[in-house]
Amino acid sequence: MIVFDKVWFSYGINHVLKDISFTVSENERVAILGESGEGKTTILKLILGLIRPDAGKIIIDGEDITNKTEDELREVRMKFSIVFQEGALFDSLNVKENVAFCLREYSKLSEDEIDHKVRELLRIVGVEHAIELMPDELSGGMHRRVAIARSLAACEPKMFLYDEATTGLDPVNADIICKLILDLSKNGRGLILVTHKIFDAVKIAERFMFLKDGIILFDGDKEELVHSTVSEIQIYLNEVSLSCKANKSGG
Amino acid sequence: MKIKELISELQDFYLLSARGLLGAVKKPFYLKDMIEQMDYAGAGSFVIIFLVSIFTGMALSLQLSAELSSLGLKMYTGKVVGISIIREIGPVTAALVYAGRVGSGIASELGSMILGHQIDSLRVFGVDPMKKLVTPRILSSIIMLPALTIIGDVVSLCGGYYIAVFVSHQSGTFYWSSIRDVLTFENVFAGSVKPFIFGYLIACISCYMGLSTKGGSKGLRKSTTRAVVVSIVMIIVSDFILTRILLYVLGFSV
Ligand SMILES: Nc1ncnc2c1ncn2[C@@H]1O[C@H](COP(=O)(O)OP(=O)(O)OP(=O)(O)O)[C@@H](O)[C@H]1O
Ligand SMILES: [Mg+2]
Repeated sequence: MIVFDKVWFSYGINHVLKDISFTVSENERVAILGESGEGKTTILKLILGLIRPDAGKIIIDGEDITNKTEDELREVRMKFSIVFQEGALFDSLNVKENVAFCLREYSKLSEDEIDHKVRELLRIVGVEHAIELMPDELSGGMHRRVAIARSLAACEPKMFLYDEATTGLDPVNADIICKLILDLSKNGRGLILVTHKIFDAVKIAERFMFLKDGIILFDGDKEELVHSTVSEIQIYLNEVSLSCKANKSGG
Repeated sequence: MKIKELISELQDFYLLSARGLLGAVKKPFYLKDMIEQMDYAGAGSFVIIFLVSIFTGMALSLQLSAELSSLGLKMYTGKVVGISIIREIGPVTAALVYAGRVGSGIASELGSMILGHQIDSLRVFGVDPMKKLVTPRILSSIIMLPALTIIGDVVSLCGGYYIAVFVSHQSGTFYWSSIRDVLTFENVFAGSVKPFIFGYLIACISCYMGLSTKGGSKGLRKSTTRAVVVSIVMIIVSDFILTRILLYVLGFSV
């Protein structure tokens, strides 16, 4: 369970988060929506303890992580699996070694078993053919999918965090990744999806938060989202209804 | 405000230097990374150290034999060349070359890892970047720079020999015997303490600069430049301080 309790965060004089509070339980599928630069990525970084809040508390499974040392944070981070916005693959390792990184670090699998596991993970995300390539030889979508495969290799996470998992992908690939994300959290494992593509968010999430000017402007389920009167959300929703209409007239 | 920033930067630097070294005695150990680093830093620097050393030795020997022969003291060439190479020039040139080649490499590699969020990835996977990245670099520098310095010293002395014998027409046996006279415990000790400290300094400074990179490719340029410049200045300054301390400890009077 993740609890944000009156969290403030700023980069220098840029106040990114102002008094944010929310609770996300372990098996919830949450989407954090918001415009570019509103601090969505910042929230994920705070959850993982990569940055520390200026004020307030972040409690994960009953433990306050705000003052933990790097060593203590390791256990907290093990509970999550994250796909960064940029993928953040290790650019001096090829795809196979990237995916195998965690396996080598934490398991005592033999070389054959690692190879087998890596191929299996790459098959799940559909980029098995790219196993020998270097990260800078991948397309944007492949990059993202390899990053997802790598995050799956991390030891059994309780929750998944996705930062813009579908942004910048064509609709077909975005759909594939949405399905993949849903599949992965089938057995009750929750996820937090950060995105500004509401279209993908409604496919995956059951609860939505809308971030604006450092505060949470909206927090509710799909029903409430559709009937929300917040003007920014209306703009987002228009986009969805437009594409629905296009779908209908097209087919 | 400036002073406060400076102090907190210095504090971060000391923490990195201490924790990087502590990583050598605390699990987990990343032996593979260390061997890779030693290969890159040590074996990879061999050719350039060889070239720089041989020409330094030859230039020094040439200059000294010209100067000394006008005083009629040509036979001292070996002794002076020996002392200056073993105690001063050898360790300092090797360290300067090392800072230029390996220090800049460390800073730019770590810097681009920071910019590509790869360090964040490491931390998320529960890997301590200090142990995985900094410790292997510090240890390999502490091991490889002294090794390179010894090789450089030998090569320089051979360069000096070539000039003394074939250009300045001195006796080769005498040259080597005066070199052997110079190889006393004090001289060798003074010359071999330095590279350990230089190696540690270069690795810590470069890792620190690399890890504090921010601001895109311009930031990377800045941190790489800073790594080399600060390393070079620190090598020269600490060389002076070390020379002073060593002369005092070994009981020389100035
Ligand atoms: N390392 C940093 N240093 C300084 N400011 C930063 C840094 N990272 C982010 N910011 C600032 O913090 C704010 C929030 O950034 P964040 O990355 O959380 O946005 P985001 O909501 O994820 O945006 P996007 O949808 O574009 O990914 C932005 O205004 C950004 O300028
Ligand atoms: Mg973001």
